[in-house]
Amino acid sequence: MEELGWLAIFGRMAVQFLPVWVAMALVFGLSITWRRRLGLYGKLFDSTIGMIGFGIVIFWLFTAVFADLIITHDPLAQVSQMRNVVPGTPLPNPDGRYEYYLLGGDSIARDVFSRMVMGAREVLRIAPFAAMISFMIGIALGLPAGYFGGRLDTGLTFVANLVLAFPVILLFFLLVAPEIQFTLIPTVMAGVLFLVPILFLMVLLNARFFTQPGKRNLYVGGVLVFGLWAYSGLAFNADPLGFWGISPNILNVFVAVVFVNAPTVFRIVRGITLDIKTRDYVAAAQTRGEGPWYIMMWEILPNARGPLIVDFCLRIGYTTILLGTLGFFGLGVSPESPDWGSTINDGRRLLTVYPHPALVPAFSLMSLVLGLNLLADGLREESLKD
Amino acid sequence: MTEWDPSKPILEIENLSISFFTRLREIPAVMDFSCTVMPGEAMGLVGESGCGKSTVALGVMRDLGVNGRIVGGSIRFKGQDLTTMSLDGLRKLRGSEIAMIYQEPMASLNPAMKVGRQLIEVPMIHRGASAAEARAQARALVEDVRLPDPDRILDAYPHQLSGGQQQRIVIAMALMANPALLILDEPTTALDVTVEAGIVDLVKDLGRKYGTSMLFISHNLGLIMETCNRLCVMYSGEAVESGNITDVFNKMRHPYTQALFRAIPLPGADKNARPLRAIPGNFPLPHERPPGCNFGPRCDYFQQGLCDARDIPMAPVEGDDRHESRCLRFDEIDWAAKWKPEKEVEASQVGEVVLRMDDVRKYYEVAASALFSGGDTKVVKANETLSFDARAGETLAIVGESGCGKSTFAKVLMGLETATAGKIMLFDENVQSTPIQMRNTDTVSSLQMVFQNPFDTLNPSMTVGAQIIRALEIFKVGKNTAERRQRMLELLDLVKLPREFAERMPRQLSGGQKQRVGIARAFAGDAKVVVADEPVSALDVSVQAAVTELLMEIQRKNHTTLLFISHDLSIVRYLSDRVMVMYLGHVVELGTTDQVFAPPYHPYTEALLSAVPIADTTVEKRRIVLEGDIPSAMNPPSGCPFQTRCGWKSSVPGNLCETEVPPMVTVAEGHQLKCHLAEDILRRMEPVFNFAAE
Repeated sequence: MEELGWLAIFGRMAVQFLPVWVAMALVFGLSITWRRRLGLYGKLFDSTIGMIGFGIVIFWLFTAVFADLIITHDPLAQVSQMRNVVPGTPLPNPDGRYEYYLLGGDSIARDVFSRMVMGAREVLRIAPFAAMISFMIGIALGLPAGYFGGRLDTGLTFVANLVLAFPVILLFFLLVAPEIQFTLIPTVMAGVLFLVPILFLMVLLNARFFTQPGKRNLYVGGVLVFGLWAYSGLAFNADPLGFWGISPNILNVFVAVVFVNAPTVFRIVRGITLDIKTRDYVAAAQTRGEGPWYIMMWEILPNARGPLIVDFCLRIGYTTILLGTLGFFGLGVSPESPDWGSTINDGRRLLTVYPHPALVPAFSLMSLVLGLNLLADGLREESLKD
Repeated sequence: MTEWDPSKPILEIENLSISFFTRLREIPAVMDFSCTVMPGEAMGLVGESGCGKSTVALGVMRDLGVNGRIVGGSIRFKGQDLTTMSLDGLRKLRGSEIAMIYQEPMASLNPAMKVGRQLIEVPMIHRGASAAEARAQARALVEDVRLPDPDRILDAYPHQLSGGQQQRIVIAMALMANPALLILDEPTTALDVTVEAGIVDLVKDLGRKYGTSMLFISHNLGLIMETCNRLCVMYSGEAVESGNITDVFNKMRHPYTQALFRAIPLPGADKNARPLRAIPGNFPLPHERPPGCNFGPRCDYFQQGLCDARDIPMAPVEGDDRHESRCLRFDEIDWAAKWKPEKEVEASQVGEVVLRMDDVRKYYEVAASALFSGGDTKVVKANETLSFDARAGETLAIVGESGCGKSTFAKVLMGLETATAGKIMLFDENVQSTPIQMRNTDTVSSLQMVFQNPFDTLNPSMTVGAQIIRALEIFKVGKNTAERRQRMLELLDLVKLPREFAERMPRQLSGGQKQRVGIARAFAGDAKVVVADEPVSALDVSVQAAVTELLMEIQRKNHTTLLFISHDLSIVRYLSDRVMVMYLGHVVELGTTDQVFAPPYHPYTEALLSAVPIADTTVEKRRIVLEGDIPSAMNPPSGCPFQTRCGWKSSVPGNLCETEVPPMVTVAEGHQLKCHLAEDILRRMEPVFNFAAE
């Protein structure tokens, strides 16, 4: 069979991505139709930059969701004679498999295209959740630091600065080094980190509903049961039902990412809190005798959402890069994993001869981060307008 | 510059229309606006927020931003058309021929540059003057704007000056190039009344001295009356009436102007016999203006088929000099008719004492250096020896300028801070050292507060209904959600808001509506004592009247004690039963409203009364302008707190004022003063206001 030209390669890739196109068209169609009722999200569609960013982000999101339908080969399978082949090379004997390696093969003859698609799933499985946990921790510490001020603020800010001053790469090496991995440190840290979201949600709901004990017990109880179930699996790998689980490697990555991001979020939240706590509605809540946690969680936090959402988008981007960096150093996720960082590292050795195995994931990484940054820009711009 | 005949108008605006373009639509901000300013004339532009008065000023400067555009008409300055002038020509004009003074002085000064350098720049750029020459001119002008010690001021950074001093510098800077036209956009709104009085005096004198024409923008009719020769009343993007001050004030010929005057508390108004009249309805949004007369839907004289049939032009009023009105019916309306309220209400009955403060003090300790704790600590005395009582159903006004301790007083009373010393009794319960978390629900719900800034008083991310229901939950009103919801709807009825508003978000409400929600929230637990911290000062005149009336009505119904904190003496005079005047943490005068507003005065009260601009040509006012600014509470003067600015100090023998804090003297039943002045001098004081015989 003939080798494919670039036009054909892109054509075939577009066909593979069909489920993604359909989903994107649906999202865009519905959102643009109802954009006047969708608040800030709807306003995003008034800004070209924001729309492009959003488009790129949901492209990768749907790629991750439909990865099983998109891939042409098993991302881990090796096909003989396909080592380092250029994009569009046909398989010698397909046997019912897809006839081409659309974006070529890597140094051990795996399909670069499928690995890239699966890599999106790897990355999007970790980055948003790591960013979310960073946010919960940053918020849970930043609110009281800004609201109460005084010693608490001084202490927490000092610790945050300490963490920020520590060299990031060194921290990662330490965290994933076997000497540390097999001690209790990662487990203890995970135990603390994953506990914060549960406490956060419980305080949030209790502050709101303590005046209605029936509702409060239901909500807080629900969070407690569900949270502890997930917690047992995620932090200690001891889920009795075996539903929640996380490999020690990914756990380490999680801990590392959260550790690096949370102090920055903390500082942002603290700053916004200092500003918002002087507003009259906060004073009004104080004069009707609300507790400090209600004021922080329900009077201050919702009104800080604008800058936080923007920062959240940016932070997913940073986290993605961070994951890439970790993968590149061979830290974190398993060596076989198709995540973009590791793939770039694999392709690095033969970069001058066969650039495609490294370039493809590099472009993917770049486009996702670019999309997130554009989305954040669009959101910021639109949230500032009337 | 081309030849220009000084007998011609300096600024001629003809049929000016300005629109802003958003992504949804074109928003016309100013329509068919015409006015002329003659040399040496001061023209006032008055109107409520959103009426387009600032847009006109920015249009003259051609500084409308990216969205704004002049869509019609012409602006001629000394005969040149500004609308078609090149950017280069404009740059030469701005700052040298036309200067503008903005509301916020700190925002007009570069914080990183010494004041002197900023002043010197102006003649150096526009006239190419030498540095020495420019500096000499700057020094002379700083003296002219009556700043003490000009050399020190020139060498200071803007943040080292007080707000009043900063605004004087901004005025000096505007005058540096000796402009032919000065545009002042609410130049004193951010300042205290006594400081404002000084600035107004200055602007008037300078206008006379330099012969500068002025375009003075303000929402305050009294201020316009004091500063301008002519005025132009704007409503919803249009000029509705223009003419000489005396013509418009005494012979108004537009229903909006009339409604405006009925809504402001003039000295003759009385909350029971002659209440204020709010303008019904709301200010129309720029894209929802009615056909025909913009004021039509809110007008008492509206005639269907006539007023809403077509656009209405300005028409001259016979017999007056350049007096015009945009009303089709001004010849038919009986302008002399007095407005009668539908029913006279009875004064609310004053009951027993509900709140008693006895010698309350609040001191803050401030570390001298923030970086290293330890070392010296300074004590800021925010409240000193505060003693008074308030009775059920009574309105006690607390008056004073910024920094006088009235907000600290509110915080201490509410329990957000605890008093350093003294006793606060609320319904025979001692609350002075009980912070709010420790107070029981009853105490908390019976003592509530209405806040100043309507845009800040509601949580922007919760619906109006949810916020009121939350207050009900906290005050343990109602057994279940349905009951609370019912009560919430009743509260909306109480503050005269439609029930649909329960589902609205605060940003969908206007300022006055938000303030009503704030009032509803305060009354959720049947508050017995309500502290209203400048509840109407941020609202427009017409809305102000409505909110004030609402507060009065609820007070009569619920027999609430109202502690009304304000700096606006007109409104205080209108609605309060007793007045307490504060200065630098001290109560300087306390008495019934009549006692405080008539001699004998405390010298500070006298100055404060004189500083308030009054929009009534029949009132003659003695002008007392205080020197300097309010001292900092960090570093209060020795002895009497007011001695640094007092005009009566020379009448006190010796240096008593500088050494001793005066005692509280009772001059009449229930009327107390904190002053060293001897009784016979107090007796000889003359009233600040004189009503000319009508």
